[in-house]
Amino acid sequence: MTVTVSASGLTLRYGGTRALDDVSLSLRAGVTGLLGPNGAGKTTLLRVLATAVPADGGSFTVLGHAPGSAAGRQNLRRTLGYLPQNPGFHPDFSAFEFVDYVAILKEQTDRTARHREVRRVLDAVDLSDVRGRRLKRLSGGMRQRVALAAALVGEPGFLVLDEPTVGLDPEQRVRFRELIAQAGEGRTVLLSTHQTEDVAMLCHRVIVLACGRVRFEGTPAELTARADGRVWSSAARDPGARAGWRTGAGTFRNVGDPPKGAELLDPTLEDGYLLTLDDPDGAAPAQQGEAAA
Amino acid sequence: MTWHVAEEDLRAYLRGDLAPPLLWSADTHLTACAGCRALLADLSDPVALDTGWERLDAELDAPRRGVFEGLLVRCGVADHSARLLAATPVLRRSWMLAVVFVLAMTVLMVRLADNPGLFLGLAPLLPLAGVALSYGPVLDPTYEMAVVAPLHGFRLLMLRTVAVLGAGLVLNGLATLALPAYGLRALAWLLPALALTATGLALTPRLGPVLGPALVGTAWTALLLIARARAHGTPAPFTAGGQLAAALVAAAAVWLLIRLRDRFDSTSAHTPFAGFTHGSAA
Repeated sequence: MTVTVSASGLTLRYGGTRALDDVSLSLRAGVTGLLGPNGAGKTTLLRVLATAVPADGGSFTVLGHAPGSAAGRQNLRRTLGYLPQNPGFHPDFSAFEFVDYVAILKEQTDRTARHREVRRVLDAVDLSDVRGRRLKRLSGGMRQRVALAAALVGEPGFLVLDEPTVGLDPEQRVRFRELIAQAGEGRTVLLSTHQTEDVAMLCHRVIVLACGRVRFEGTPAELTARADGRVWSSAARDPGARAGWRTGAGTFRNVGDPPKGAELLDPTLEDGYLLTLDDPDGAAPAQQGEAAA
Repeated sequence: MTWHVAEEDLRAYLRGDLAPPLLWSADTHLTACAGCRALLADLSDPVALDTGWERLDAELDAPRRGVFEGLLVRCGVADHSARLLAATPVLRRSWMLAVVFVLAMTVLMVRLADNPGLFLGLAPLLPLAGVALSYGPVLDPTYEMAVVAPLHGFRLLMLRTVAVLGAGLVLNGLATLALPAYGLRALAWLLPALALTATGLALTPRLGPVLGPALVGTAWTALLLIARARAHGTPAPFTAGGQLAAALVAAAAVWLLIRLRDRFDSTSAHTPFAGFTHGSAA
């Protein structure tokens, strides 16, 4: 599958900290999940790829456009749909007016064509019925869908979504997953999330970022496979486990290096993710993930 | 219903040649009259009819413009530019009311003290603050989306600057009219206002949208205090020489601003968003 977005050696220092440390990655069409703990640099990486913040070092291209020159940056932005972590709204705008405003920012100046596009994206996120309602009167989930609609204006080839399911109830999260899955058909989507469930259900690729560095790049199955033989059940929390918690059945689920004779369990993506974060050899894990394929 | 759209007008409607207000009447009537719709269908080819309905649907669907946005469109501002201006944070009613209140209080104090110094010192700061707050993360909730949009940041900045500066100057001008006793001297704020605003914007790519204008405002206040301490008459910025200097500063700042226009969406010193997520210590 053709690489649509590629980054090499991205570095960004902010004050005395290294928010991105030599990040290299390549994305293809479909939904790629970006997992990592708080402070891992996920939002910074997304802002760099969305051209909101320039990197100190390294380079990247999106659908053949590099942001080095003003013209390249503008062409890149024409291919981009961006849903920030905290999308801001003009509260007195209606959903239609807000998406219309973003469409104008995306250079859609012809009123008839622009309004047609606004109706299309509001239909796509199932908000046609409330398009005239003021944003301040919409629920958090609806506002998030309005922001997604705004990101979809102009059918961007590269969609950047920064934790879009945060704060949504389970029903809204499932609805949002459907929308992201639809959006990922035929375009490249980079989805930052804390929810390993989102990644397991939506993504064909996953990147794990920790301390500004890529710790893993591969498929969700490869990430899950990192925990093969390293998840076990016990009656009490195993002190040797890297993580352990009591399950609903009353037994403990432990992740780490199991003792001999332990009752092994099938790993989940979350187990693989936890072990990857703990992996002291995280410096060159991408190859490990690829090698496991 | 006694009136129906004439066949000749329906043909013009199909060709897209029917002009307002007859076009609006026909649109409204066709939504309610099945007979005219049937006649329209007989006269038209299906593709053209679908296009017409789509246009009608879009018009009915389009949001009603607010008072300010509608006024701009009636004044000849393009529809998309009017929407961008309607989203300018400091053009909101609360900001305007605050500026009017400050100016009214200042005019009152000037009349009581019989000294225009306070007004002349304050009036240039209001447009500077308005312009600074119209483009940046402080008051614009959609700033992050605007930064990554293909619309050039400098164009958006200039659109908003013209609108905010225009509104600010009009309000200052009205306040000047309330001080007729000082004649042309009461207009001595105008050139400093242009100089401060242009300088604040020119420093924005280097210092950011908050620090740049804040430094300019501080420098202006310091200049006034020093001028007042050194001379008992008219402070230097409001003399003929001071006005000439303000004009020169304004011209130089505009020149610099135009030269730096590409930096408004690419400078690394421009820190647009609070709350970066931090990685490892360097």
